Amino acid sequence: MTNSSSIITDVNAHPTQDSSAGPDTYDLECRNILKTFDGGFTAVDNVSFQIPKGSFFSILGPSGCGKTTLLRMLAGFEKPTSGDIFIKGQSVTNTPPNKRPVNMVFQHLALFPTMTVAENIAYGLRQRKVAKHEIGDRVKGVLQRVGLPDSGNKNIAQLSGGQKQRIAIARCLVLNPDVLLLDEPLGALDLKLREHMKIELKQLQEEFGTTFVYITHDQSEALVMSDQVAVMNHGAFVQQGTPHDLYYHPKDAFVAGFVGESNRWMGRISSQSANGLEITTDSGLGLHGVSGENQSFNNGDKVEIFVRPEAISLVRGQGDSNNSNQLACHVVNVLFDGAKSQILVKDPQSNGEVTVSMPQTADFENLRKGELLSLSWTTEQTRCYRVEG
Amino acid sequence: MSLRTPKLRLGLLLLLTPMLLWLLLLIILPHVNMAIISLSERVSAGEYAFSLSNYAEFFTESLYWNTFLRTATMSILVTFLTLIIAFPVSYYIAKMLRGRTKGLVFALCLIPFWVSELVRTYGWMILLRETGVVSSSLQWLGLTDGPIEFLYNDAAIIVGLVYTSMLFMVVPLTTTLDSLDDSYIEAGYDLGGNGFTVMREVVIPHAMPGIVSGCIVVFMLTLGNYLTPALLGGKDSLWFTEQIFTQFITRFNWEQGSAFGILLLFLSSFIVWLGLKLSRQSFTRVMS
Repeated sequence: MTNSSSIITDVNAHPTQDSSAGPDTYDLECRNILKTFDGGFTAVDNVSFQIPKGSFFSILGPSGCGKTTLLRMLAGFEKPTSGDIFIKGQSVTNTPPNKRPVNMVFQHLALFPTMTVAENIAYGLRQRKVAKHEIGDRVKGVLQRVGLPDSGNKNIAQLSGGQKQRIAIARCLVLNPDVLLLDEPLGALDLKLREHMKIELKQLQEEFGTTFVYITHDQSEALVMSDQVAVMNHGAFVQQGTPHDLYYHPKDAFVAGFVGESNRWMGRISSQSANGLEITTDSGLGLHGVSGENQSFNNGDKVEIFVRPEAISLVRGQGDSNNSNQLACHVVNVLFDGAKSQILVKDPQSNGEVTVSMPQTADFENLRKGELLSLSWTTEQTRCYRVEG
Repeated sequence: MSLRTPKLRLGLLLLLTPMLLWLLLLIILPHVNMAIISLSERVSAGEYAFSLSNYAEFFTESLYWNTFLRTATMSILVTFLTLIIAFPVSYYIAKMLRGRTKGLVFALCLIPFWVSELVRTYGWMILLRETGVVSSSLQWLGLTDGPIEFLYNDAAIIVGLVYTSMLFMVVPLTTTLDSLDDSYIEAGYDLGGNGFTVMREVVIPHAMPGIVSGCIVVFMLTLGNYLTPALLGGKDSLWFTEQIFTQFITRFNWEQGSAFGILLLFLSSFIVWLGLKLSRQSFTRVMS
């Protein structure tokens, strides 16, 4: 991982198959979508993006960031105040939801409880006046593909959470939509099932080849499943890129803090050199770091510093390393979570807490509270971002 | 568990006592008494014998069962009209309105029912009588030469009954429609449905228990209504409850009146049962 801000300069542009591609290679394109509500609140602020055919696109943001409003505009339930939405090159901005080649999997799925599974799936086909025998065949076919071939006659209440999920997706995919919109459908599931459904959703998307637009506030869902992720905050897209890009090259402090876990310090730049930045944190810690993507600083600028828990190397007791940043800390707590276990340590100088990933080696098995640990990490893994205001 | 069972039984019994007493003293006892009276015939002064003649009278005298048929048909019509008018109102309250306005409009539906039925019916009479508001307005507008009597016909009865029944349809309908999450309606549109098909396949199936329970209440109340048909329909209104009243009060024929009462109970129950069968709803589900 050698990177600096100069290598990746254009993460926010469309990273794949851009300039050469014609407009019809995009299943969905939004141009300058703006949505303001009565009272002057701007829910979606001038958002533009393009989604290539057959990709899994996630919109990731905290609750209240406008992602649901954006999705509802794509589905047609809300009308943008200004801007245009194109599906396969055709403007659908003024098309009502029942005429758009887009279907939506609702947050609570909205499977009709008064119908059986087969009737639920057949509903959309009936609205399109598909011949009766063909409806039967297509319902059977899609049930087969989502792996529930014998569920046709069941009631919705008889299905488990994961099965409902698959039926809700089947109900949309049987209509061969150009784009499938998913509104945090995994939110209601328990953790174990959610982990399983993440993989399953990704597989379904690859199997059907339909473009998925998935909105979520859970960064792990977005990172695991997506080809492209857009991070949204205060109604605008902050950064768009592959999950890898977002994790390793966050564009600003918000993305750095929101995507993945980080230890944070606030501080000021004390000096700059070819080797990086010297920063003094507010608590008096001296760190060596690099500037984040597209950032440049003057001495004395206020910055936020991010270090990932897994970037920190550990040695028990007193220890030296070649890394530029070193810190001796005491163990406050061991947060055991199997392979994802973390150690919470306290740095005696600033009294700040730092989270470190527990190395999966036998050396750290019998770690005790209060024990001395030597932490170290490199300059490259210490990223600084400007603090606005 | 076995230790607690007798205590639980006692608690349950105590809780149910007022209800059971009410049922027994005010509903079951009078009906048993009425059934016994209806099965007797006065042979001579103070002497009674068992007889089915009171029931035979109902089926042989065409006036009686015609009156019943007329009452039942008109009640079904009133129920249907009430449903047609109340459904959009309820849908509007439950699905279109939000927050304070929702409560306000719902209260507006409720307020007329703070006034007694008698006063409300007189209100209709003030509007519809020969010298009433509607008639005078039409004359003033020059749409008619002389005064028109709008009262004392079937239309007036139906208008009055629909008005009286409105609340009993709006309340259960609003409650069931309120419980329908907006996302079901949106999903209905999203999957290609139009206003009509979403209504038919999503909204109405969901609202069915509310529709049926509203219909049962309105039908029963209308069938057993006495005041509105008597006042708005006048002496020719031929409502079945008026027959019962006549037998008990005017002709002092308690045996015949009781037989009519029992017949009204069974025939109306039969119609409700038929309605439930036709709409494929179960009574317990509708009333829950």
